[in-house]
Amino acid sequence: MKFASAGTLESMDCLVTVSEGGRGSGLAVELEGSGVSRFRSAMEKTVRDTLEALGANDLMVNVNDRGALDVVLEARVETAVKRLRGER
Amino acid sequence: MRRTMLYLPGNNPNMLVRGHLFGSDGIVMDMEDAVALSEKDAARIMISKFLRRGDFGRVEVTVRINGADTEFWKKDLEAVVPCKRLDGIRLPKADSPQIIKDVDEELSRLEDKYGIAQGHIKLFCILETAYGIWHAYDVATASKRVTAILPGGEDLVADLKTSRTPEGTELEWSRRMIVIAARAAGVDAIDLMFPRVTDDKGLRRDAQFSKDLGFDGKSVIHPNQIPVIHEIFTPSEKEIEKAQRIIAAAEDARARGLGTVSVDGRMVDVPVVKRAHYILVKAGLEKEDE
Repeated sequence: MKFASAGTLESMDCLVTVSEGGRGSGLAVELEGSGVSRFRSAMEKTVRDTLEALGANDLMVNVNDRGALDVVLEARVETAVKRLRGER
Repeated sequence: MRRTMLYLPGNNPNMLVRGHLFGSDGIVMDMEDAVALSEKDAARIMISKFLRRGDFGRVEVTVRINGADTEFWKKDLEAVVPCKRLDGIRLPKADSPQIIKDVDEELSRLEDKYGIAQGHIKLFCILETAYGIWHAYDVATASKRVTAILPGGEDLVADLKTSRTPEGTELEWSRRMIVIAARAAGVDAIDLMFPRVTDDKGLRRDAQFSKDLGFDGKSVIHPNQIPVIHEIFTPSEKEIEKAQRIIAAAEDARARGLGTVSVDGRMVDVPVVKRAHYILVKAGLEKEDE
């Protein structure tokens, strides 16, 4: 399975890993880490909005959060997706 | 005012979030030396996201892109120029007028593409070779965008075929030449950063030397360096009070048709008045063009 990641497990960052799902499998978002219990829905919305803006489909996304702001989460998701696509 | 410009590693969210809160006059989000080769893409995206939010208060916001001798610089510019809040580009290895012209042309193309006023984005040129230092005036006048020139650090030391000393002797003349070229060209001179972050005495000595040479400020690599440099580059109450008396005396003399006057036993002529205005500018009491 093809996958790519971006980010770190440092404070205020997050590690985002994306992997290709099967055709038509849609988007699966998995969240873990320090901010998830309080901000799950906001974080999931940020991830999904970023994926939508990138036109990304059929992906599994794992976010390991270390207190990342939404701007950081957006950046890490975009970087991981672009890396998966080979766009550096 | 550019007394301090704080470098923030471009792939470090922790510093990017807080960087503008430490009180420096400017920040420099770094895509170059502070970012590993494998993370250039991540830093480019991270910085552009932060710039789009535009939440930096009143600090001058700049980005150090990768040098024009790399494969990255055009992508770097494409990522940051359209963003809401970008005042300038810090260009490393800006060692010839041709490099400045190439970057200026690319900036003009991008400003046109994204509907930004032509010339809005300023250039801060780092001169990192002996050739660059020798041609500092030509670099500073190669484009109207150039607003400041800066001496390089490690690369310049290597190019001079010398090594770092605690006294900084190896870069002394390069720093002097930067100030002379900057003043001749009418741009700012910003000195290199002081690398030893826990050496306050050394920082104080180095910053005083920068000020005495005529620099407008310094690059900074740690927030703790900011107050020390501000203290040195900000005029004291006594200096401000004297500058105000000099300007008042000169204005009074002019109104009464007198040629010269004296303040504290010293003749007040045009250069003295000019210096007094400069002190008030540095104190934030006058604007540059008043």
